[in-house]
Amino acid sequence: MYGLLSNTLDALLALQQGVDYAKGRDYFGENTSSRGVYPPINFFEKEEGLVLIAELPGVKKDDIALEVKDNLLRISGERKVDYGEKASYHRRERRDLTFDRTVKLPFRVDDEQIKAEMNDGLLAIALLRKEEDKPRKVAIQ
Amino acid sequence: MSTESKELHSTEEKGLTKQETQEERTSAVRTFSPYTDITENEESLIITMDMPGVKKENVDVRLEKNVLEIEGVMDFSRYENLKPVYTEYQVGNYVRRFTISNTIDQENIAASLDDGVLTLTLSKVPEAQPKKIPIN
Repeated sequence: MYGLLSNTLDALLALQQGVDYAKGRDYFGENTSSRGVYPPINFFEKEEGLVLIAELPGVKKDDIALEVKDNLLRISGERKVDYGEKASYHRRERRDLTFDRTVKLPFRVDDEQIKAEMNDGLLAIALLRKEEDKPRKVAIQ
Repeated sequence: MSTESKELHSTEEKGLTKQETQEERTSAVRTFSPYTDITENEESLIITMDMPGVKKENVDVRLEKNVLEIEGVMDFSRYENLKPVYTEYQVGNYVRRFTISNTIDQENIAASLDDGVLTLTLSKVPEAQPKKIPIN
């Protein structure tokens, strides 16, 4: 991308591209996550299981599909950003997104007891370990 | 993210375009700049910001001397008692400032918050709306 810059315009355009790239990679530390994998998920530990919270602003409950199998969790869906034909853009940082992400968990999930809720653009999923995967206490003789 | 990691952090708004002012402030919680789209149609300017985790009552939109300041305060209660194991996004408040011009009707700003997305509709002053000039 940086190759031989034969004139100043190329240098400026390369600088512009470089800054845009760095902005998306959290170099300036301005946003909550870099634009890498989507949606960004935070994993929290809670008693016998995990709580997953994903940032999905602007996505409606019905546009998300959640699937669970053994120790895999799949979150997929899409978000459209549309301002109509008559709009002219001054700034565009939010993007249309179609996502499909499979997460591997450290234990198999108890299918009966999964709870998921969506509030204010945050999807929270509470998962419990399957009975067979719960740690067993070992007595030391 | 645990609420115990509050820190004094100076937030600096980098002057990215002529529409943002540069100012330094300190706050007790980490603040971030929300992704924003600014679009314009005939009657108004629409600002859309991604603020996941912020409830309607916790958004503060303020207009002072042509500077529009938007602050969304995060509800940390949902993260209480949770121990982070692996994190991909950070948690904090959202702040962003814009300088708006005289073509905006300052009395007429509408705001709504749905699913973590704040939409501000700034109506243009009637004189600023494009007028078609008929040719005789």
